[in-house]
Amino acid sequence: MRQNKSMVPVKAVPLFGLLTVCLAGCVTSRVEDARENVTGLNAGDSVVIMAKSYHQGNATESKYITCIEDALGRGSQGLRVIPRQQFVDSLFPWFEPRTAPAETKGLTKLMERPGVSKIVNDLGVRYIVWLDGDTETVAQGGSLSCAAGPGGGGCFGFAWWQKDADYEAAVWDLEGYESAGTVTADVSGTSFLPALVVPIPLIARTQAAACKGLAQQLRAFIIQ
Amino acid sequence: MNSVELYDTEVLSYTNPDFTSRADCKPLIAKTRSTLSVSLLLLALAGCGSNVTMIEPTIPAPRIEKIPINVALRIPEEFKDFVHEENVLGKESWTIHLGNSNATFFEQLFGYLFDGVTVIGPDDDARNFAFDALIEPSIDGFEFSVPNQSKTEAFAVWIRYRLRIFDREGNNASNWTVSAYGKSQKQGIGGSDSLQRAAVLAMRDAAALIIMQMDKATNISSLAGGGLAPPTSRPVKVAADTSSNQVPDDEEEDFGVFAIGGIDDEAE
Repeated sequence: MRQNKSMVPVKAVPLFGLLTVCLAGCVTSRVEDARENVTGLNAGDSVVIMAKSYHQGNATESKYITCIEDALGRGSQGLRVIPRQQFVDSLFPWFEPRTAPAETKGLTKLMERPGVSKIVNDLGVRYIVWLDGDTETVAQGGSLSCAAGPGGGGCFGFAWWQKDADYEAAVWDLEGYESAGTVTADVSGTSFLPALVVPIPLIARTQAAACKGLAQQLRAFIIQ
Repeated sequence: MNSVELYDTEVLSYTNPDFTSRADCKPLIAKTRSTLSVSLLLLALAGCGSNVTMIEPTIPAPRIEKIPINVALRIPEEFKDFVHEENVLGKESWTIHLGNSNATFFEQLFGYLFDGVTVIGPDDDARNFAFDALIEPSIDGFEFSVPNQSKTEAFAVWIRYRLRIFDREGNNASNWTVSAYGKSQKQGIGGSDSLQRAAVLAMRDAAALIIMQMDKATNISSLAGGGLAPPTSRPVKVAADTSSNQVPDDEEEDFGVFAIGGIDDEAE
């Protein structure tokens, strides 16, 4: 099991001149992987990023899945990522939320279905990555009041909120119809919003950090 | 849950005494006030109601072997323009125009599922058509939830279809309820697009269930080549008037498939 802990420092980024300033809040992240089998990619191999079924209570945000897809495919070491909608449509109805296999033991039976293994081979899909988890606001407090009149307006007060992003990526190897392992990302971020006439947002980009961390670890896990 | 409501906003009104003291400005101020009031009222009313119009759904060609049977699909009158209206917690009102989408959906689905499909209207006499089985879909229930209700960031839609199947002699061969569910994350302002997407996903979910369980649940393939429903089934005359085909509720033999019924179930 590998672990990667990081503390992102507060950054100041100027926006729209002097009036609006946006600062990044504090984010703590922990990314781990647990390997079950050897992985690797051959030329032409690709991966698909899927969300676990909402029929089973999963609530992974579609923008998070898109973020992982983009992050995995970017850069000189980018993986070949098949868009999930293309994959799901090509294999309709076998990867719908109701019908998708929940465990690797269903893969053998699935590949025996008419045309399924041919499509998987044509697309070059070697790994299916199943994402589970979501980002939630776990605590919040403070108060902020704003007032406006003909002479102008302004805000006064202080508010804060904490978000936790917990995601798990289960990697299935379609070569041996087995689980290759899991990669998890636990990210916590606290945002602040002080206001003295002008509100100054100090936003912690919790989900973005979870996306970046998980994608990096996932790429390293698959390429090995 | 990602929503954060932290702002206690208060809007203060301000009136300049010098300005209001001028008699000639009173009519102008009164007119401005009334215009502003009407505008605010319209804005508030507009914010309390949402309209969703369904696009014609399309389902991908399924990777399956067709059931070797010719069916007649009777599209009920309600499928021509299905509208669902609902008030949510006494605050918002939602109107969902499903329109002709269900008719399109079943035509497309059964086109993929069976060897042959003949679409007949609600007023057509089924005896004038050749088929092995007649399928009559209907909507038993349509429900949805919005983020305010579920306290999540998602819209969800539940649709319960009923499929009545008759043999070519008009005997009731099967009566199957299909419960489908679709969920979509809130995107943008208003949520109309998200609710529409949840409805499309629910229809797609129904398609997946029907494709996987149709023959298992209804044994429709036994009607191929003129096969008749078992004699225990109550004969129902398949006539032009669809209302005469309805079996009284207390005599219905319902069997719904609510289980997930995916690959894993079969692998065990």
